Amino acid sequence: MTERILSCSEALAEALAEEMERDETIFILGEDITAHDGIFGQFKGLHKRFPGKVIDSPISETCIIGAGVGAALTGMRPLVDMHFADFFTTAMDEIVNQTAKIHYMFGGQAKIPLVIWAPDGGGLSAAAHHSQSLESWFIHTPGLKVVVPSEPADVKGLIKTAIRDDDPVIFFQHKKLFAQTGPVPEKEYLIPLGKGDIKRQGTDITLVTYSRMTYLSLEAADQLAKEGIEVEVIDLRTLKPLDFDLIAESVKKTFHVLIVHEACLTGGFGAEIAARIGEELFDYLDAPVVRVGAKDTPIPFSPVLENFVLPQTDDIVEGVKGVLNR
Amino acid sequence: MIELKIPKLGLTMESAKLLSWQFASGDEVKKEETIFVIETDKVTFEVSSPADGIIHPIAKTGETYDVDQTVGYLAENREVYENLLKTYPAEMETHERIDETKEEVVTKREETSPGPAESEKRITASPLARSMASSHGLNLAEIKGTGPGGRIIREDILETLKELEMVGKEKEFLPKAVDKDFLGKEPLETIPITGIRRVIHDNMYMSLSQTAQLTLHTEAKGEAFVDFRDRLNKRLVKEEIKFSYNVILVKIVATALRMHPKINASIEGDEIKIWQQIHIGVAMESEDALVVPVIRNPDLKSLNEINRDLNELIIKTRENKLLPDDLANGTFTISNLGFADVDYFTPILRPPESAILGVGRIIRKPGIKNGHVIPEAMIGLSLTFDHRIIDGAPGARFLKTVKEMIEAPVLMIV
Amino acid sequence: MKITKEKKLSLYNKMLTVRAFEEKAGELFAKNLIPGFIHLSIGEEASSVGTCSVLNKDDYVASTHRGHGHMIAKGADPKRMFAELFGRTTGYCKGKGGSMHIADFSIGILGANGVVGGGFPIIIGAGLSIKLRKTDQVGVVFFGDGAANRGTFHEAANMAAIWKLPVIFVCENNLYASTTPVDYSLAGGSIAGRASAYGIPGYNADGNDILEVREIVGKAVKRARDGKGPSIVENKTYRYRGHFEGDPQKYRTQKEIEAFKNKSDPIQLFKNILKKEGTLSDQLDKDLREEVYSMIEEAVRYAQEAPLPKPEEALEDLFVNP
Repeated sequence: MTERILSCSEALAEALAEEMERDETIFILGEDITAHDGIFGQFKGLHKRFPGKVIDSPISETCIIGAGVGAALTGMRPLVDMHFADFFTTAMDEIVNQTAKIHYMFGGQAKIPLVIWAPDGGGLSAAAHHSQSLESWFIHTPGLKVVVPSEPADVKGLIKTAIRDDDPVIFFQHKKLFAQTGPVPEKEYLIPLGKGDIKRQGTDITLVTYSRMTYLSLEAADQLAKEGIEVEVIDLRTLKPLDFDLIAESVKKTFHVLIVHEACLTGGFGAEIAARIGEELFDYLDAPVVRVGAKDTPIPFSPVLENFVLPQTDDIVEGVKGVLNR
Repeated sequence: MIELKIPKLGLTMESAKLLSWQFASGDEVKKEETIFVIETDKVTFEVSSPADGIIHPIAKTGETYDVDQTVGYLAENREVYENLLKTYPAEMETHERIDETKEEVVTKREETSPGPAESEKRITASPLARSMASSHGLNLAEIKGTGPGGRIIREDILETLKELEMVGKEKEFLPKAVDKDFLGKEPLETIPITGIRRVIHDNMYMSLSQTAQLTLHTEAKGEAFVDFRDRLNKRLVKEEIKFSYNVILVKIVATALRMHPKINASIEGDEIKIWQQIHIGVAMESEDALVVPVIRNPDLKSLNEINRDLNELIIKTRENKLLPDDLANGTFTISNLGFADVDYFTPILRPPESAILGVGRIIRKPGIKNGHVIPEAMIGLSLTFDHRIIDGAPGARFLKTVKEMIEAPVLMIV
Repeated sequence: MKITKEKKLSLYNKMLTVRAFEEKAGELFAKNLIPGFIHLSIGEEASSVGTCSVLNKDDYVASTHRGHGHMIAKGADPKRMFAELFGRTTGYCKGKGGSMHIADFSIGILGANGVVGGGFPIIIGAGLSIKLRKTDQVGVVFFGDGAANRGTFHEAANMAAIWKLPVIFVCENNLYASTTPVDYSLAGGSIAGRASAYGIPGYNADGNDILEVREIVGKAVKRARDGKGPSIVENKTYRYRGHFEGDPQKYRTQKEIEAFKNKSDPIQLFKNILKKEGTLSDQLDKDLREEVYSMIEEAVRYAQEAPLPKPEEALEDLFVNP
C-alpha cells in the first residue's frame, strides 16, 4: 500500500469532505471560512463542493455557537469554527451553560451532535490573544468531550468520529501543526474517542502528552535514547474521556511518569492526570509524578520571551532526567 | 499536650530500653503511627502515637527507662510545641528539617543541637519501594537509599534482595580475585551487635562468668518414649495438633521437678528461693536468635493442654509476636538439639534458673541385652546445673528420675 | 384574522389553565413543597397563549426562566410539569431541570433557560436549521425587557436579519427586569424600536389583549414562514407577582400592582369581550374554571405521587454515548 502523505490541514479537509458527502445534515459555520477556505486552509474546496453548507458568519460568537446548538437540537450535525481557541471566551455561556448542559438538564430529551472546532497553541509570536491552550476549562465542564490530535492520521480519524458522535465535542488543532505532514491511510477509518496512542515504546519512563508537545516529546526521546534512556511516549489524542488504562499499563511497566503539555502548568490537565496516577497507581511509583507545562503567564510576543514561557524540547529532556534522578 | 511514656506491656515488665525514635523533635505525627521502639527482655515493641500532633522526644536512645516514665511529649499544635521546647529542651540530636515555612523553628533547634542525627531521621522511600519491601518482609530502616535525598527506590530494594539471597546461601567466601598469597584479613561483612543479639551476648557471658555450672551426661532408652508419642498421635482426630517429643519432655520434667523441688530454685542475693510454681521454658529459634518462651505450670496441666500451649508459643515465635509475659519467670529450661544430630552438649544456664536440660537426637545404636548386641533407640541427655546451690548427687538423682520417666513414660502418672 | 367561537373559548380556557397552574405553583411553593425557586407569569397569559396559538406543533419555541406559561400554551402537560417542579423522575426532565429548565422537544419547546438572553443563539440555530432543511417551520424566542440589553440579543437580531431566518423575537416587556425598571435600563425606550437598526420590522402590541397579540404575532409568523425573515414583537404586559416567589418587591408599590390588576388583567379583559358577544356565560365560565381547577388539582396529585429519582440517576444522561 502506498504511503500517502497529507498535512493536518489537508487531512481535516479530506475528512470533512467525506463526511459531508455521506451526511447532508452536516454543515460548517464560522468566520471567514469561504474566502480563504479557513484561515489555515482547513476547509479547502468544501464550500464549492457543498454550496450552502459552508457558511460565513458575522463576528457573533455567541450566535455561532448558539446556531450550532439550536441546529443540533433540531436535526442537524453542525461543525462550528471558533477561529481561534482564544475566542471561546466570548461564547462561554453558550458552550458551558447551554451546549454542555442541555442533554443532561432536559433529562436526555435532546441531543447535541455538535463539533466546536478551533485552532489553539502558541509558538508563532501571535501573542496573548491568539496563542492559548485552553483545554482545561472544557475538561472541567461535565457534558463536553475534548479531543486534541497531533498527527494528520489522527486528525482525520478523530474528526470523523467526533462528527458522528451524538454528543458535543470540543476539537482543538494546534496552529503550528497545520502544515505538519504524516501518513494517512487511504481507506475509510475511524479512531474512537477516548483512546490514546503509544507513539513510541519505551521501558524507563512513561511520558504522557498531546498536541504539539507530542512532537517535542518524540524529539526529546530520541535525544535521551542516545544516553540509554528509553522513553515511552503516549499521545492521549482524546483528553475527555481520558484513556487512563493506557497510562496505567505503561506506568506499571516503567514506574516513572512525566506529563507534558503546552497549557500553563497550574491547573493544567497534567494536574488531573497526576492526581489520578497518585490515587490509582501509588504503589507503582518509584518517583513523584512530574509535569512540564508553560510558565504561568499570558503568552508574550517577543520570540525570546515566548520560547522561555512555552515548554521546549530541552525542558522535556530535563524533566525526564529529573524523574529518573540521572 | 500529651506525655509519651514507656507503656506497661505485661505483668512482669518493669523497664525497657529505648531502641529508636521514628521521628525527630518538631515532626508532625499522625495518630497510631509508630513513634518509638522499645525493647524488653528479648521482645521489641513499636509504640504508636496516641493522637495527631507534633512530637518532642526527650529520652535518649540506648538508655533504659522505667515503665510509665515520660520519654517525650506530643504537642497538639505549633504553639504548644514552641512552649514545650522552652520547658523541655531536646536532649537528642535533631536533624535539619526541609520546611521553608518553619525556618525559625529550625534555626532555634539548630542552636541547641548541631549536626544531623541518623537513627531518628524519617525513612523516605518511593511508594513502589515500600510495597516491594513490604511484600518481601524487608525492614526499610536497614536499607540504604540512593534516590534523591536518600530516598529508597526500587533499585535499592532489588539490591537488598540480591544480597539477601547471597546471605541465605551462606555467602561463599569470595577470595580476592588475584592474590592467593594475600596475608591480610578483611571483613566480608560487618554486623553490629545490637538488639536481641546483644541481649544473648550479654546474658550468655554473664551466665558463665557468674555461676558454677557443670554438666552431667546420660543416655535414656528411647523405645517406650517413641512408642508413647506415636500412640498419642494415632488417637488424634484430623485437625488436632500433633504431639511433639518436647510436649512429653515438658511433662516429664515438670513431674520430676515436683519430686526434686530443690532443682526448681534460684539464688536471690544471699538466699536460695525454692519456687512454688513450675514454669518450664522451651528453647526455640526466632529470626536467627535464641528465644525461650515458657509453659506455665505444666505440672498442673494435661498433655493436651501442654501441647496446645506449646503450639501457641511456637506460632507466636514464628510470627514474631511473643510478648514479655510469654518469656518471664521461667524456673527451668529444656533445650532440644536433636534436630541437628547433636547427642550431648553443655547447655548454658539461664539465670536466675539453676538448671537446664539439653536433649539430643533419638538414634539407633548397638545396645546389649542378655549378652547379645541389639539395636536400641537412645536419647542423649545433658543436665547443666548451678553447683552453688545444687550439688552433684542431687543433680544426678534428678537426671536419673528424668531418664527413668523417658524410659517408662507411664511413670508420669504420679 | 378570522377566529371561531370554539377557538376563542379554547384560548380562554388555555389562559385559565396557565393562570391556575401558576397560582397553584405559587401556593405549593409557599408551602415549601417546591425546591429551588420559581418565577411566575401571572398577568402575562395573553402574551404566551396568544403567541403560541398561531404556531404549529412543530414550530420551535425558546423559552425563559419565566416559562411555565409558554410551555402550557404550546401544549405541555401540567402533570409532567408539576412532576418536574417537584423534582420527580417522571417530570419532563427526569427531575434534572426544574422550573427554569423545563423542555418538551416533542412539541418544539427547545427548553426554558436559566441564563437571561440564553435563548437567542439557540433560536438562531433552529432558524438556520429550518433554512438548511428547507421546511416551513418557524421559531419563536420569548424574552423579557432585560434580555434586550444582552449582547446575544443584538448578535442574534443581526444574524437573523442577514440570513433572513424564519424566527420571531417576542418580547414580554413587563416593565421590570428583576428589580430594575425598564425606563432606567432601556436605551431608546423601545425594544420594537431596535428592530429598525437591523432592518427588520418591529411591532408593538398590547400584551394584555390576546386577540391583538394573536394578530400581530400572526403577522410576524406569516412573514417568517413566507421566507421574508425575522421580526421583533414587543408585547407590553405586566407581572403581578415578584421576579421570583418570595421577592420582597421593594422596587414597586402595591398600589401599582393593584392598578394593573384592575385595569388590564388579560383574562378579565378577554372575559369581558366574550361575555359581551355572548360566547361566554357566567355558568360556562364557572364550569370552565371548575374543570381547569380540578385538572390542575389532579396534576398536582399525579406529581406528588410520582417517584423520586434514585440518587445515582444524577450520573445518567451526561452523554448519549458515554
